[in-house]
Amino acid sequence: MTEREPLKETFAAYARTGDIVLRDQLVAAHMGLAAYLARRFANRGQPLEDLTQVASLGLLKAVDRFDPGLQIEFSTYATTTIVGELKRYLRDKGWAVRAPRRMQELYLNLSQVVDGLGQELGRSPTIAELAAEVEASEEEVLEALEAGQAYRFASLDSPKSDAEGGEPVGESIGEEDQELARAEQRATLAPLLGQLPRRQRQIVHLRFFGGLTQSEIAHRLGISQMQVSRLLARSVAQLRSLAEDSRSQEEA
Amino acid sequence: MGFSYDEVEDLRLAIDELCFGLTGPTGRHGTVELLYLIDEGSLVVEGQGHFLEDIAPIMLTDLSRVILTALVDEHDLVTGPNGPLFRLLKRRHSNAALAGD
Repeated sequence: MTEREPLKETFAAYARTGDIVLRDQLVAAHMGLAAYLARRFANRGQPLEDLTQVASLGLLKAVDRFDPGLQIEFSTYATTTIVGELKRYLRDKGWAVRAPRRMQELYLNLSQVVDGLGQELGRSPTIAELAAEVEASEEEVLEALEAGQAYRFASLDSPKSDAEGGEPVGESIGEEDQELARAEQRATLAPLLGQLPRRQRQIVHLRFFGGLTQSEIAHRLGISQMQVSRLLARSVAQLRSLAEDSRSQEEA
Repeated sequence: MGFSYDEVEDLRLAIDELCFGLTGPTGRHGTVELLYLIDEGSLVVEGQGHFLEDIAPIMLTDLSRVILTALVDEHDLVTGPNGPLFRLLKRRHSNAALAGD
């Protein structure tokens, strides 16, 4: 008898009886698979603990739905179910404002195409080129990009996944350009800019004081163009809020 | 128009910044009318605020000026006779048009 034989018998018994104790045994026996799959999604902005819970839920569903009479290994069946749960969770969790699913998918597709096509062309792609690449209309591309502003990406101050050593992403960025820092001083915006997280501050420097395009910043920092876009928009909103707070304090 | 992704993102931020200049941090009751003028190689966006309450003369903050200067070729925000007005001009700088766009 192989190691899997007892599990097959347990699956068969659970299918017959629906005994919760058997289900718990089956879940416990495959928790390693759930944890492994959760770790594979750990670099996408959600805590590993949450992902493990989602994967465990997927495992539970897989145990409940698995038909031991089928000629398929449970691990194969469960992997599909768990990965589906994780993807659905990340897709739903990532959107601050609900966008139509087609727009969500188109945006996620574009987030890869923008960088890939940009490298291929050696310049920022046009909307028409993006539309042709993703087989959508230009209006749909623009709509998806707009919807994408609602997409929440991982905080750049949050740790990377365990596999990457847990180093904050901001620590891997090089020293700030001294000339840009002086430009900041000239503009008397230093008190505001100083309150932004380091990565955002650097992106603001490069775009608004250094004159680099978003794609040039993305290339320089080794992140996607869409991340630069989101961080710039977020930074501007934060700077406005900080400026307003500062004004209120001066008036008080 | 052949604007690149970079340039479209610049326009998005610039219009947002100018609309913020019109409405201020707390918002205002009323509408903002936008007019897009497309020319070969450039786009002009004009905005007119129609607000229900009287508002103080509008001016850009240092922050807004820095941002807009980096994003567009020309920009202006003034208090007109019927309310605040803004105008921006963005020229297409990318060489995408040469690629047959």
